[in-house]
Amino acid sequence: MKPDELDRVLSRESEIIPSSGFVRSVMAAVRSEAAAPPPIPFPWKRAMPGLLACLVAIAWSVVDAFRSPAPASASVIPQTATHWIDGVAPLLEKAQIFGAEWVLLGLLLTYAGLKLTWHLAGRRM
Amino acid sequence: MDAREDEEDVDTVLAGDISAFERIVQRWQRPLVNLAYRFCRDRSRAEDMAQEAFLRAFRGLKSWRRDAAFSTWLFAIATNVYRSELRRLSECTLPLDSVECLAALNANLIDSTDEDRDRAVRRLVSALPGKYKEVLVLFYFHEMDISATSRSLGLPEGTVKARLSRGRKILRSRLPQFLGELHLKEAQ
Repeated sequence: MKPDELDRVLSRESEIIPSSGFVRSVMAAVRSEAAAPPPIPFPWKRAMPGLLACLVAIAWSVVDAFRSPAPASASVIPQTATHWIDGVAPLLEKAQIFGAEWVLLGLLLTYAGLKLTWHLAGRRM
Repeated sequence: MDAREDEEDVDTVLAGDISAFERIVQRWQRPLVNLAYRFCRDRSRAEDMAQEAFLRAFRGLKSWRRDAAFSTWLFAIATNVYRSELRRLSECTLPLDSVECLAALNANLIDSTDEDRDRAVRRLVSALPGKYKEVLVLFYFHEMDISATSRSLGLPEGTVKARLSRGRKILRSRLPQFLGELHLKEAQ
């Protein structure tokens, strides 16, 4: 088939006429879209104090870690960090008693299952 | 079509009168439905796809920058919607070399009138990989205007030309076996 013949075949296409209810159907969808309430925006104003507090806390702990004098021992872990580890260690021990690792594994598997379902459902829709 | 009418209707819609959008739909329903039909070859699906394109246009009306014609913007939105739909549909379409696809084309060509042959060529276009199919569909829809095709697809003209050339090459490489049979039959 010559190029111009291909052009002729592909250019010559009969037009279809939209059904009589098409405009009505589009306008119904447009009106329902316009009538729907706008999406609720994230409440930045309310969240701002909490976010600022988090930032200040993080900045403070970083500054504090650098300001603390280095321990005489050869330990490379900053004092603040060792305090933090000392505080968290009992919590971790208790979590181990209650089988927290299994709970965590269960949550992760549930999350992965949900993500997979959404992904597959999204592809089929 | 009058670009001023589109602009006035868009202004009216943005001012809060949604009914003005109906005039936009009336003006553009035919090209949008026809373009969708060329992508999917299914009349009912074509109307659904065109409706989705109009809805997206309505949602994004504020984002239309007046430096481009309204039609260019609308076709770019529609093309995006149709390409996404095409990607979803591609799982269901027959691969180009599948036995069923070739057999269907052969069946169309053996008894062929011009109309049958044209239909077979279009089926072959439908079976092309998406990136060639969309370029071919838009190129012929826009009456072989490369720049309109590239604007609709949001691709550089060079890319459009390259894909067009490759798509035609694939088509031509697959057509002779069918057309050969057709010409043999005509000669007998």
